[in-house]
Amino acid sequence: MCVSVAEAPGTVKVSEWQQSYYGTDSGIQSGATTVRSDEDGAQYSTKKFSYSTTFTENPADVESQYNMTRAQRIRAAMFPETVMEGTAVLSTQMDLSQQTNVQKLAEPSQQLKAAIIHLINYQDDAELATRAIPELTKLLNDDDQVVVNKAAMIVNQLTRKEASRRALMQSPQMVAAVVRAMQNTSDMETTRATASILHNLSHQREGLLAIFKSGGIPALVRMLSSPMDSVLFYAITTLHNLLLHQEGAKMAVRLADGLQRMVPLLKKSNHKFLAITTDCLQLLSYGNQESKLIILANGGPEGLVNIMRTYNYEKLLWTTSRVLKVLSVCPSNKPAIVDAGGMQAIGKHLTGSSQRLTQNCLWTLRNLSDAATKQANTCSLSRPLQDGMENLLQVLVGLLSSDDINMLTCATGILSNLTCNNTRNKTQVTQSNGVEALIHTILRAASKQDVIEPAVCALRHLTSRHPEAEIAQNAVRMHYGIPAIVKLLNQPYYWPVVKAVVGLIRNLALCPANQAPLRDAEAIPKLVTLLTKAHQDAQKHGSSAQQTYQDGVRMEEIVEGCTGALQIMAREPVNKVTIASMDTIPLFVQLLYSPLDNVKRVAAGVLCELAIDKQSAEIIDSEGASAPLMELLHSSNEGIATYAAAVLFRISEDKNPDYKKRVSVELTHSLFKHDPAAWEMVSGGYLLLLSRTELDGYGPVAYQGYSDGMHMDSMPLDQEMPEDFVTGMAYNSMARPYHDY
Amino acid sequence: MNREEAPGKSPEEMYIQQKVRVLLMLKKMGSNLTPNEEAFLRNYAGVVHSQMSQLPQHPIDQGAEDVVMAFSRSETEDRRQ
Repeated sequence: MCVSVAEAPGTVKVSEWQQSYYGTDSGIQSGATTVRSDEDGAQYSTKKFSYSTTFTENPADVESQYNMTRAQRIRAAMFPETVMEGTAVLSTQMDLSQQTNVQKLAEPSQQLKAAIIHLINYQDDAELATRAIPELTKLLNDDDQVVVNKAAMIVNQLTRKEASRRALMQSPQMVAAVVRAMQNTSDMETTRATASILHNLSHQREGLLAIFKSGGIPALVRMLSSPMDSVLFYAITTLHNLLLHQEGAKMAVRLADGLQRMVPLLKKSNHKFLAITTDCLQLLSYGNQESKLIILANGGPEGLVNIMRTYNYEKLLWTTSRVLKVLSVCPSNKPAIVDAGGMQAIGKHLTGSSQRLTQNCLWTLRNLSDAATKQANTCSLSRPLQDGMENLLQVLVGLLSSDDINMLTCATGILSNLTCNNTRNKTQVTQSNGVEALIHTILRAASKQDVIEPAVCALRHLTSRHPEAEIAQNAVRMHYGIPAIVKLLNQPYYWPVVKAVVGLIRNLALCPANQAPLRDAEAIPKLVTLLTKAHQDAQKHGSSAQQTYQDGVRMEEIVEGCTGALQIMAREPVNKVTIASMDTIPLFVQLLYSPLDNVKRVAAGVLCELAIDKQSAEIIDSEGASAPLMELLHSSNEGIATYAAAVLFRISEDKNPDYKKRVSVELTHSLFKHDPAAWEMVSGGYLLLLSRTELDGYGPVAYQGYSDGMHMDSMPLDQEMPEDFVTGMAYNSMARPYHDY
Repeated sequence: MNREEAPGKSPEEMYIQQKVRVLLMLKKMGSNLTPNEEAFLRNYAGVVHSQMSQLPQHPIDQGAEDVVMAFSRSETEDRRQ
């Protein structure tokens, strides 16, 4: 027969409870008082309690057992602590598989008992605290620091219990006294205790309000300069609770120079502390430009980037990424974050398991990307930053295979900007199979313009102005990109995409192997249709001062883009004929009159290509192109002047030598007929020009950016021009000048 | 050939010089020349040689410049998790 015995005398147990109720495991949470019995009736004992259980016995024993009344059994079940040590508590359980009623009631009755005791103690604590508060308040205001210290310790203890804590926070005088003591004391222990008090009070709204009203915020902000880590922890956590839940707290923290004190804390090394601090910064700076500038002024970007670079604690990385996201829309913070290596540091966290971290990092990188593209092209970046950028670009190319629309929107956008005018990044992305990945993205994106537009722009960047542009141009064709790209020119027109696509087609056409596939994909009729429509829309508005925008794109940009693409496509003989056969020459001649240099350049450029065919040359001539072309010889834009001259040479190809000379003279003379002074200037300029001796050659040119170079105006002139060639000739009559010859 | 700022250069010489320069610039800008134009340059190789040194160094007519897209127009708040 098994018996159960109480673990300790019951009276001892009761007194223990009265002194340390809150340390007692009532079993409500832990289930420590749960009765269990398994098949063989083994007894489980818990921390504080033990139970009766079943056993089998012979009839004679049963007789004696029934001497114990039911009341005794119930009392023993509910209050085992009252059973004297050594007393056997016997059960009436006969069947192992069935509990007795007393056994069934044991657990619920003990829970009820615990709840009642809890209430009694709560009431005691509350009353105690209420009686003590005025006295404690006085003591906290005492001049004697020892007294203050002791009082603070006691109050701190009181704040650990819920009932007394509530009583304390309901006393504004008490809270104010705590705040005052915290600010004024020079004793470290007092500081710690008072900070702990405020921290404990900050877990309820009432406490937060009391702290706020008592001027706790400026005091807590001052504590952020404390040399004690515990005080720092209490202060930042309390401020965090205030920022989260107390109205007016953000303004108060900002006014108390909270940001200036918080940013330096980013150098601390405790990751949980940092997580709270960064969350505070995010709460304070979201939507508040001034706060963002204060963070910038105090070295925030460097501190935040350093955290992203150094730590692996997910929560800290997430809170920090949120601050960086907030700062990344600020034009002043952006370059600072980029210069601190932000792109690289943030880019380290795009492939982890935390979806929220990855997405925040992507949004941040996208916001930063237009500033990041200016980051040095080549060797002025440190090795780690170069490697980091290389890694980032590769990861972004990898993300292009995602199905998540947000990820794709970000990845394409970042790649588009990072490859913008950046030779190194363009080459890197090309080498990382970026072209293939971008094409697949476009194919999968269907009509999602937020993905397609940046993807096409990225391809456009990759296909020009860097050493591997030709590789990229070929790669588009080899990965079956050409039909898909040309299809993007179909209706309905989304003009930003159309603009990007025509630019891409122009670049693709630079590669001779792409010309036939582009033609087969019907690029030419689509470009001509778009050009015609855009030109008509632009013409409707009459004056050049008004510009036609559709979806944020000017129709003049579409005109330029389409004509430019046709210019390059016209390098191929079959395309040349096709383009001319679509009756485009009159339109191109019209475009020579455009007020926009870019349009003039591409118009002259395409006519220059078409003029290689004699038939087209005649049409160009008959459309009166000579007059506007003569004007264009004056252009300060070398490209324009060159194309114009080339067209004039080509349309006069079959004329006799005298004619050609006259053309030449007219060309020369037209430059200076109305501006003799210019001749003086230019002849001097020509001398200067001769002193520049670097030979450029015919091959690919180094991409060194534009500078003011030679103008066609400065070509040498023959001062002794035969008069008879110019007599009676005026610009306007140049339309059909030489038919008599 | 006297290629300096020489008064006394005949119109024909001017024409040749100008045309050589135009053709060289065209090539520099990536355009193709006709067979006649290529022959012309071969005929006046001397002028070609002298003109080559006077061509501008920088690239011309590379098509439209790359343009950044401005994404950071507004903040988006995310759910506090």
